[in-house]
Amino acid sequence: MESRRQFLVRTAAGLAALQGGLFKATDVFADGGSAQMAIAKWSGKTDGATADQINQAAGKLVRQAVDALGGMKSFVKAGETIWVKPNIAWDRAPELAGNTNPRIVAEVVKMCLEAGAKTVKVGDNTCNPAQKTYVTSGIAAAAEKAGAQVVFVDKTRFKSTPINGKALKDIPVYPEMLECDGIVNVAILKHHGQSQMTMCMKNLMGMMDKRGLIHQDIPAGLADLNLYMQPKIRLHILDAVRILTAHGPTGGNPNDVALKWSVAAGTDPVAIDAWGAELAGYKPADIAFIPTCQERGVGRMDYRSLSPKEVAVS
Amino acid sequence: MTRRAASWSGTRIRRTVQVVVLLVFIALILAARFHSGVRPGPILKIFFLLDPLVTIATALAAHAFAAGAFLALITIAVTLLFGRVFCGWFCPFGTLHDIAGRLIDRFKPDKKLRHHFSPRQRIKYYVLAGFLAMAVFGGHWVTVFDPLVLSYRSFATGVLPAAQWAVEESTTPLAQSENKAIHAVSRYATEPAYAFVRDHVFVASRQAFLGGGLILAIFIGLLLLNAWRRRFWCRYVCPLGALLGVFSLRPLLRRAADRASCNECDLCARSCHGAAAGAAGDKWIASECLGCLNCSESCRRSGLGFVWASPLRNDPETAPLDLSRRALFASAAGGLVALAALRISPQSRGKVYEARLVRPPGSRAEREFLQRCTACGLCMKICVTGGLQPALTEAGLEGLWTPRLEPRIGACDYNCTLCGQVCPTEAIRPLTVEEKQKTKIGVAAFDVTRCIPYAYGRDCTVCEECCPIPEKAIYTTDDEVQVAGVRTTIKRPHVDPDKCIGCGACVNMCPLKDRPGIYVTSANESRHPDNQPFLTGY
Repeated sequence: MESRRQFLVRTAAGLAALQGGLFKATDVFADGGSAQMAIAKWSGKTDGATADQINQAAGKLVRQAVDALGGMKSFVKAGETIWVKPNIAWDRAPELAGNTNPRIVAEVVKMCLEAGAKTVKVGDNTCNPAQKTYVTSGIAAAAEKAGAQVVFVDKTRFKSTPINGKALKDIPVYPEMLECDGIVNVAILKHHGQSQMTMCMKNLMGMMDKRGLIHQDIPAGLADLNLYMQPKIRLHILDAVRILTAHGPTGGNPNDVALKWSVAAGTDPVAIDAWGAELAGYKPADIAFIPTCQERGVGRMDYRSLSPKEVAVS
Repeated sequence: MTRRAASWSGTRIRRTVQVVVLLVFIALILAARFHSGVRPGPILKIFFLLDPLVTIATALAAHAFAAGAFLALITIAVTLLFGRVFCGWFCPFGTLHDIAGRLIDRFKPDKKLRHHFSPRQRIKYYVLAGFLAMAVFGGHWVTVFDPLVLSYRSFATGVLPAAQWAVEESTTPLAQSENKAIHAVSRYATEPAYAFVRDHVFVASRQAFLGGGLILAIFIGLLLLNAWRRRFWCRYVCPLGALLGVFSLRPLLRRAADRASCNECDLCARSCHGAAAGAAGDKWIASECLGCLNCSESCRRSGLGFVWASPLRNDPETAPLDLSRRALFASAAGGLVALAALRISPQSRGKVYEARLVRPPGSRAEREFLQRCTACGLCMKICVTGGLQPALTEAGLEGLWTPRLEPRIGACDYNCTLCGQVCPTEAIRPLTVEEKQKTKIGVAAFDVTRCIPYAYGRDCTVCEECCPIPEKAIYTTDDEVQVAGVRTTIKRPHVDPDKCIGCGACVNMCPLKDRPGIYVTSANESRHPDNQPFLTGY
């Protein structure tokens, strides 16, 4: 579902394009300051950067990317409760790129609070024991410091909900997540054995339980899950500062981590994932779930057609 | 006597000490859980370090002293001075017996004379004799007999999981109720309370132990024996009590009775915890006295008290225990026969290895492991995933309730070394994280009659996804298969035995929850060179 603002902008653009046929819809986005996608790339010093300098750059990148979309105010209203959903799946330190960069999570929390959110909750259904991953990933401390309420996702509290999708007939969802007004999905770009890559769309698997089943048909499962979650999701963010190029999604070997110094944000997860696939050296059409999710109407894989705003950050 | 004086009476102080020690014992069990960034302190195993039975048995059987085991000297020194006050004042199992006895007496008022010394109390010394004879020849069956071990294990694998079950099962339906009123109660009352115990008390969600019901039943059964004889365990069975009894045959602090004032009312004997004397408090036996002070306090004529005496002095008031030399030798021989019975299995002769016996990382070779492990359950309690479980048959009778990994319940966490850090006898050696990550506890294998890509021709490879080895011990091949007449390509997983350490993360995450498509056996475990079937470096 689109926000009212997006709907109005898109309708105006469409009408304008139909009536005059003189300018492209994307021009409206470009000028109006509320494009559907933004990509922030680091243009500052990269040689010999320390872990802390990389993390600081990550924080700046995500803020600039969201600002290019008109700021978090475009996605979060005053008084709302927002669930920020990072990847906190594995018991790995930030440098190993197994989880979303904690600085990015903290910056997103701050932006939500600045936009007037009443409460920002941060949590994920982890794969390794939560009491370890929350700490090792650095996310619990960073999010708490930024003002978020860190929530342990309790495996006994999932509730099965019928969704009648193609692959998934029902999914166990976490009520506390869905009771929030909106969700900001903050994924990291990683290699994945079965699906080749995991990015924004696959990150939503942390919102359900019994996710092992999805692996039997990842494209259809991800389409089902994303279509079901879409109305709740205000913004997708992809952390491509440190990416995991092999042995994902767990990683663990620093040699498998590559620095890409980029963050993408937007409302179309298919577009963002397609951009991420290219960044990692794949053709988006070769990552099976990307074309499938486009066919199922999750979004558009030709992210260039959205004329993403590119921001250079230093 | 004034009220104030009464409140400071010896028995009141003793009861207070008992309750405090019991609470500390329980608090230390609860504290045995993962705390981020905190190395578990030796305080968690303090009760076992203070336990001379564990120390002596380990020294005899394994010729080893664990770090901190010298603390048992404190208990021995206290016993030499004061007699078996460890039993009467400190032992948590003894305190539970006192509490159980009191509760039982409420329902079943005590009329029978069961408080006088019974010659059968000598049985525990014969148990000790058999136990020590076994230890001299390398057997270490502390498992079943040590009261601290028994209590710890029963709490950790029986009592606490039962409490957790009650909390989780009562709060979950409230939290999931559609009813608005119930939902409000849940949100503001039960859920915050539940979240607190979940985050500060529980180790893992829905924690449970295989055979925990049996352990709990034995524990409760032993406490119920108080209905027949007060402190049944302490008087007749406990080899730790017997060991301390040996150290208190001639204690420095002795009971002194003023026979002239005695009117044979028998109150002293009736209130005696250890049944340390005959009728009317006659023939006090030092090694049976738990120092509970009930006798001196119950005497209406103040005719009983405790005085310091030289251990060399022969005291007409103090009766000998009169152990039978013949019975002691018979018991020792019995211990050796029992050891033979435990050891004449093909497994304990080292001819075969039990596939399901996946020991925690750092475990010593099986023989030495059993010569140290007390089956106290501390490693199982602290295991962050709850995967360490008490063995029932996997390690033979000698290894009853010793730890083994059951990865369906919880995998061995890749970055965790807690079990080795808390093991009181170092049956599990303390490892650094780097050592642990290189220690093989077994190897995974696919059951191709179950594994989804092999048996059902569908993609899956969740095992590969969650394999924590940085270079992945599971790899996949793209295989062309025919599924229902259609040719298709799927990924099939394989194990690299050079890389696999047997942690069982793959087993734990396999979508097949009854009999997973991948399993871990003890083959390739670092601790047994003879159990390593692969050439390395391929």
